[in-house]
Amino acid sequence: MNRTLVLVAALVAVLLVGAAGGMLISTARTTDDTPPNAASIDVGFAQDMRVHHLQAVTMAGIERDNTSDPILQGFAFDVESTQLAQSSEMAGWLTVWGQPQLPDAGAPHMQWMSEGGTHTHSNGEGGKTTGSVQRMPGMATSEELDKLRKLTGKELDVFFLQLMLRHHEGGLEMAEYAAEHGAKGYVRNLADKIVQSQENEANLMKSYLAERGAQPLPSP
Amino acid sequence: MASGTKSKGANKPRGKSNSANKARRSVVGSARKPKPWGMIIGMIAIIALAGGVFTYAFMEIDAKEKWVVSEENKDPSENIAGVVREDYEAGQHVSGEQRVAYDQSPAFGGPHDNAWAECNGTVYPNPVRTENMVHALEHGSVWIAYNPDQVKGKDLDTLKAKVEGQPYMLMSPYPGLDKPISLQSWGHQLKLTSANDERVDQFIKSLRQNNYQNPEPGGRCDAQGTGFDVTNPPPYVAEPPAKDDPNTVTMDGKGATDASAEEQGGAQTPPASGAENPPATGAGTPPPSQ
Repeated sequence: MNRTLVLVAALVAVLLVGAAGGMLISTARTTDDTPPNAASIDVGFAQDMRVHHLQAVTMAGIERDNTSDPILQGFAFDVESTQLAQSSEMAGWLTVWGQPQLPDAGAPHMQWMSEGGTHTHSNGEGGKTTGSVQRMPGMATSEELDKLRKLTGKELDVFFLQLMLRHHEGGLEMAEYAAEHGAKGYVRNLADKIVQSQENEANLMKSYLAERGAQPLPSP
Repeated sequence: MASGTKSKGANKPRGKSNSANKARRSVVGSARKPKPWGMIIGMIAIIALAGGVFTYAFMEIDAKEKWVVSEENKDPSENIAGVVREDYEAGQHVSGEQRVAYDQSPAFGGPHDNAWAECNGTVYPNPVRTENMVHALEHGSVWIAYNPDQVKGKDLDTLKAKVEGQPYMLMSPYPGLDKPISLQSWGHQLKLTSANDERVDQFIKSLRQNNYQNPEPGGRCDAQGTGFDVTNPPPYVAEPPAKDDPNTVTMDGKGATDASAEEQGGAQTPPASGAENPPATGAGTPPPSQ
């Protein structure tokens, strides 16, 4: 009896010490540090959305420098700054995850969205294709960017709004998918904020176009 | 003698009967029972040590994570007594001529001016138009408003030291403020009486550039080129906007340059009270891409 008691007590003590040691270690690291792999939604989203965001930064920079409309200048500055900062946040994730900052040049985009288009679209664009594409939805062509660079005045403003509206709407699908299926909470959070804020900005641009008597480009 | 040195019987001469021997041994045996005191004390010491480590670890985790924004702790300001929270729709813009009928004073969310007030550690000497300040909140900054009649001298310096040179911080006097100090971040407000209240720092720590609480992560604080002149900012107007003024925008965004109320998605929290409400400046063109 005595021996059993001692053994049990010793066992309990050893377990307690072990657990306590474990807790000490866990104070240093409390979250799951496993980085997403190259084929994951998180990596695919971060890389593709960086490409998408960085083109928005380019377009917004052209408008900010060349427009004479103070409201649109401020709006373009807002878009440029925010998307550059978000792109940098995603670049930070990719660095920590040990993944390339950008997808392979020339490789198809959106391969990470391969779960078969079961997700729904809150923006009413249901039925869009998922799976890999050569050009992401909403991306402007080089010709369109050249044209944007050459325009001035109201023509510039309208074309900028048209391109940027199509760009915002095109990026929604990726952001919605990552907001729903991303593995990391911070990835889902940023994707969700992109959905929310870009939907708001898209509505704003529709109003700006309407004010100028112009129509949006066809949906991406 | 192998054992029983403490037993008086051990000193007795041998040759006693077997039964007496057995009895003596049993006496010796029972006398040995309280013997492992050292071991028991050792056990207690180990358990106490383990308990101490447990407590220490818990306290460490608590102190470390209490104010740190993370997936598990998206709003650390929940640990602060007195914080008021509201859900606001982001991204509704008004022009410089328009005014918003805010539901709070000072406001901490809702429709706001196209241009944000500069929020790069900016200490405004004079009261600034609220519509611009609210846009700065949307970008993730914390706004310290103070009653200029109540907060002066040393207290004012204490607050300024938390703002000057600090990105995503801004500060301005707010005449008529019902408490000496009011802290704002998007959707959060804390009114305080003392500049030395520890909750000032806790609020800033919890909410400044909190990507879970702020609607536009990465929003910028520099304001050049936005139409907002930091050297000559639009002034604060104490009078609430007149309800029947066409330039008054209500909290649901009625009259704001935004068609977000047309959005049929379920993600927005406020009721779509303006569902049939075209933007004031636009012709109400339906969103053609849908």
